[in-house]
Amino acid sequence: MSEDYAIRAEGLGKRYKRLIKSQQHDSLRDVIGAGLTGMFASKAEREQRIARDSFWALSDANFEIKRGENVGIIGLNGAGKSTLLKILSRITTPTTGTVNIKGRLGALLEVGTGFHHELTGRENVFLYGSILGMTRKEVEAKYDAIVEFSEIPEFMDTPVKRYSSGMYVRLAFAVAAHLDPDILLLDEVLAVGDFAFQRKCMTFARRLEQRGATILFVSHNMHSIKTMCQRVIYLKKGKIVFDGPTAEGLKRYEEDSRLADAPWFKDAADAPIKFTEVKLLNERGEETGVFDYGERMIVRMRYETNRRLEKPDFRVGFDRNDDIACTTYSTSSDKIDIPFVDGEGVIELKTPPIKLVSDVYVANIVVRDAHASMVAAQIGGHFHVRHPVYSAQAYGVYHEAGDWRIDAEAPVLSEAANDGRR
Amino acid sequence: MTSEAQQSSHDTITVIRPDRGWLDLDLGAVWRFRELLGVLVLRDLQVLYKQALLGAGWAILQPVFAVIIFSIIFGYIVKMPSEGVPYPLFAFAGVLPWTYFAEAVRRSGVGLVTDAELVRKIYFPRLIMPLANVVSPLVDFCIAFCVLLVVMAFYGIAPNAKMLLIPFLLAITALLALSIGLWLAPINVRFRDIKHTLPFMIQIWMYATPIVYPLSIVPEQWQMLYSLNPMVGVIEGFRWAVFDKGDPNFMALGMSAGIIVVLLAGGLVFFRRMERTFADVI
Repeated sequence: MSEDYAIRAEGLGKRYKRLIKSQQHDSLRDVIGAGLTGMFASKAEREQRIARDSFWALSDANFEIKRGENVGIIGLNGAGKSTLLKILSRITTPTTGTVNIKGRLGALLEVGTGFHHELTGRENVFLYGSILGMTRKEVEAKYDAIVEFSEIPEFMDTPVKRYSSGMYVRLAFAVAAHLDPDILLLDEVLAVGDFAFQRKCMTFARRLEQRGATILFVSHNMHSIKTMCQRVIYLKKGKIVFDGPTAEGLKRYEEDSRLADAPWFKDAADAPIKFTEVKLLNERGEETGVFDYGERMIVRMRYETNRRLEKPDFRVGFDRNDDIACTTYSTSSDKIDIPFVDGEGVIELKTPPIKLVSDVYVANIVVRDAHASMVAAQIGGHFHVRHPVYSAQAYGVYHEAGDWRIDAEAPVLSEAANDGRR
Repeated sequence: MTSEAQQSSHDTITVIRPDRGWLDLDLGAVWRFRELLGVLVLRDLQVLYKQALLGAGWAILQPVFAVIIFSIIFGYIVKMPSEGVPYPLFAFAGVLPWTYFAEAVRRSGVGLVTDAELVRKIYFPRLIMPLANVVSPLVDFCIAFCVLLVVMAFYGIAPNAKMLLIPFLLAITALLALSIGLWLAPINVRFRDIKHTLPFMIQIWMYATPIVYPLSIVPEQWQMLYSLNPMVGVIEGFRWAVFDKGDPNFMALGMSAGIIVVLLAGGLVFFRRMERTFADVI
């Protein structure tokens, strides 16, 4: 073990109580009742109950991050990424293990938490700065730089409730960017803002990197992980299953995340049908994770049934990274009549030219039965759609060219057309 | 993340571990975050006075209306004795510290939940929150106190030197509110019942305190028991300081101090003990 570490975690674990949503805030009555029952239980019974009522969101995590290293943390939702960040940023305490952190740590788990809507931009700069751990003097000294970074100097005396969400994020990020931490925990924040601002954030991260700062980066965006980190830690069900070079880690993650049950599908154990293989192919039949805008995709799925399924509806849905459902292809809406499936088989979908904007998407494979209720839902894989101009910020979910008529005698019209969306 | 870490070298080591014994209060961390305390108080005030149409007016209206109602019911109709002071003034001198106390208890009791987003997403010593909640209503108190001085002038009563003791009495009130807040806040994080029962409890407590009536009408043999209410000493002390009449009730004040010490020490330990799971259950 070297002494040149930034973060050293040993045997780190966090156990949570398993809670049904409606029980989140216990009522006093329930707890007293449970306490009375608990008093008469034996030690073994009590331990059994703890095991039943709780789960390890993170367990036995050991790693050391050197000063100046950029490390990406990847894993499906619920794999323990945010638990790890919460422990590192001291928001919650671990159940087991220790962490040593050398230097000033700044955590950006969500940009703008702590902003108050009624206060002006200027007041919020000071509020947020000190919530993030800066002294007032420090904020004063950096105030001009913060405002400049935010690019919205004319709105500093406006209450932030009148800000657009873009402005809000800019200002919050500008404050956070001037925290100058030795270690920075970043969660998804780079995914916000328009392209120019995202680039600025990347530049900021680079600058921190050059200064020797350590960055821990959590994201679903494999592309930014690839460009920023040399090393990834891959979490699966609360355990570190891979810790090493980015390329290898991402490959493992891609392989694993394919065919996993969709996190929002609850009856996975009882599904009458399972997909055993899903491939995303381009028109040349090559397996790929990147599609150019306008390309067609072939989704080849191999399934296996447990029991005969009448009149199934096979569906392939694309969700954007941020869980926005973008489009769904369905055999029943495309009037493909499948009387039943039983046993093994292959289904292939060739999509029309993909007109989604440049971003990261998840392909979900869903099967509905004759009564239109969902009987299987699996993750088919992640893919990028690539286009130099069409981004979610500027173009929304999808883009298709329109037909325009420009009247040369009334130039106002063409200006309006250009002004529409920037 | 702390200013201390920033002033010293980049080699400050923070150790995160599961258990910090019962008595590790880590008040040093609170001190390092003292600026955040100030900023949160400032935020509360800015927000309060921006949102409210009447701004500072609310600080005045609430106690003034209470005094008017009490004066009509207890002063005019019931003809409550008021120790030789005009009844409205007598009530005002009780309502004033009580309003502060009630507000400080209420805010510190529910404050963590009001700012749940912060607790969930950002680290800071959680003690900062009830501390800020107890400090910010002091501003309302100061505004309302000026009104009391005006009303006193109206009745031809001059301020006296004993009023210099008011900050001391106020500090006792603040500590009491804080120690109650330290008990209530963690409970409210888990059981949201507190938010609903609190106004009711405070109302009952007010009638168990000599606000609308003087301590002297409580039967002699019950006064000792009655003074177990730590606000008795404070309110009596406050009237004594404002009107300069009679002797201070040292027995009641001493009782208050003793109870506060016990409540505060227990509250600190309890709060620190519960603090580590706030972010998980809030």
